[in-house]
Amino acid sequence: MTRSPRVLWLTVPSLVWFAVFSVGPLVAMFVIATLRWKGLLYEPTYIGLDNVTKVFADPTFHAAVRNSLIQVAVAIPVMIPLAFMLGYHLNTKPRGYRILSVLYFSPGLISISMTGMIFYGVLSPNGGVNGLLRGLGLDSLANAWLADPATALPSLIAIDLWRGIGWTAVLFAARLASVPGEVIEAAQIDGAGRFRTMWQVAYPMVKDYVRTLTMLQFLWTLFTSAALILLLTKGGPGTSSTTLSYLVYAKAFSMRDLGYSQVVGVVLLVLGIAGMALIRVLLRGDNR
Amino acid sequence: MRKRPLATVLSWLYALILAAPLYYLAVSALKTNIEIFTRPFALPAAWLWENFRTAWETARLGQALLNSVLISLVAIVLTLALAVPAAYALARTDNRAARVVTGAFSAGFLIPPFAALIPTVVLAIKMGLFGTREFQMLFLPASALPLSVLLLTQFMRTVPAALVESAALDGAGHWRLLTRVFVPIAMPGVVSVTILQLLTFWNEYLFALTITGTAPDVRTVQVALPTLVSDATNLGVLAAGTVLTVLPVYIAYSLMNRRMQEALTAGAVKE
Repeated sequence: MTRSPRVLWLTVPSLVWFAVFSVGPLVAMFVIATLRWKGLLYEPTYIGLDNVTKVFADPTFHAAVRNSLIQVAVAIPVMIPLAFMLGYHLNTKPRGYRILSVLYFSPGLISISMTGMIFYGVLSPNGGVNGLLRGLGLDSLANAWLADPATALPSLIAIDLWRGIGWTAVLFAARLASVPGEVIEAAQIDGAGRFRTMWQVAYPMVKDYVRTLTMLQFLWTLFTSAALILLLTKGGPGTSSTTLSYLVYAKAFSMRDLGYSQVVGVVLLVLGIAGMALIRVLLRGDNR
Repeated sequence: MRKRPLATVLSWLYALILAAPLYYLAVSALKTNIEIFTRPFALPAAWLWENFRTAWETARLGQALLNSVLISLVAIVLTLALAVPAAYALARTDNRAARVVTGAFSAGFLIPPFAALIPTVVLAIKMGLFGTREFQMLFLPASALPLSVLLLTQFMRTVPAALVESAALDGAGHWRLLTRVFVPIAMPGVVSVTILQLLTFWNEYLFALTITGTAPDVRTVQVALPTLVSDATNLGVLAAGTVLTVLPVYIAYSLMNRRMQEALTAGAVKE
């Protein structure tokens, strides 16, 4: 029998690779957070916790915390329940469900840079949304969506929802397909309404999966908003659409303060872990 | 089953919201700016195929597509070369060390690569690979490893123990067991991982932008496309460029939509 522990050596190349390119940079983040480092071409000097003091006193950082909290607090509670209901509906194979699932699936194929370019056109002052509003005679509602401090962040959240709901719904549908059909039918024969069957029979059976996807969507929303913001608003006007994720990027590359950037990176990591713990508590598997 | 008008209406309403920007993109690709502004949702009065050529030449999309293909292919080969042996080892071992390795990859799966963007740029500079395609080829597999290893391990665990024993009695070593028994049986998993990670590599944006950069001879298609935006953007050309870069993915999807859907859902269904 060759079931020797030696074979585990075969995991070493992948572990080394992972350590060098993923774990290493993650650890380095904590080191860079303690340095005064004005751009990548300069020599850094150690300044300890001075960056932390600077960051926490900066109004831009406060705005970024607020915007990030708004972003996840709106996007996730809207996205997950809607996606679950649409996924449940998709799983009952309604008429035309093939077309629906192809459409719901397609944001999963389109990269963030393509999404940015699509909405650059759709949301521009002479773009699709305003064209639609004028066509409906609602000229007064037309707006420079990305250039107005009141609508820049909401527009970005709307794009998160545009891509996230359908894609998550397809994932829920794939998971619900593994729930035995008899269970659902039995509940309906017992006279349970459709809404009750969905939330009181189907939901508890896939609760663990709902929790996993909620965590993943939360982390994606919190961490990866920088790309779309870079493409569409550059954090503005002012700081109205600056999130923590974008601040990490902007401080390092446009404002040349790497120490500041990485303090924000650490804050982001802490918020990510805290948010996951919160989701775990809120969606506890109580095995009902 | 009973009728459920509300669910039907809502599901199609959302489908419409999803489709509208895509339709707007497709018709804009064949129009001038003026026509995009004045008749946003109408079909083009004159089909302006010229936009596609302008986009292709202005953003140098040919070279960019080539760079994207090159980076994605090398990265996927490297990913499989690292992940398949690791998954084989994990599927065949059940001790504390194996659980520690699995735990490390499970934790790594949760951390979005973006978290360490800036230190990764520093690493690229230290390695002398800043501004090259090579760094992406080396880096992307690392970000793909946790999920790839975990998924492949699940598939390799389905190999029947009896089969392994009889092959081992015939004197098969690790290499023959891996190539003749485990990989063939875990083939659906290998295909899923390949599709899923190829799409991820193809679509990667921020690392390609900050490390490989915007120089026309090395930049990927994701980086090349946004260069069409300027103070006076020609929206028709931008839309045409977007269509050209989304198209390869949609063609792949239409050729193998079931396999692709399986692969992408597998990526998130992993537990």
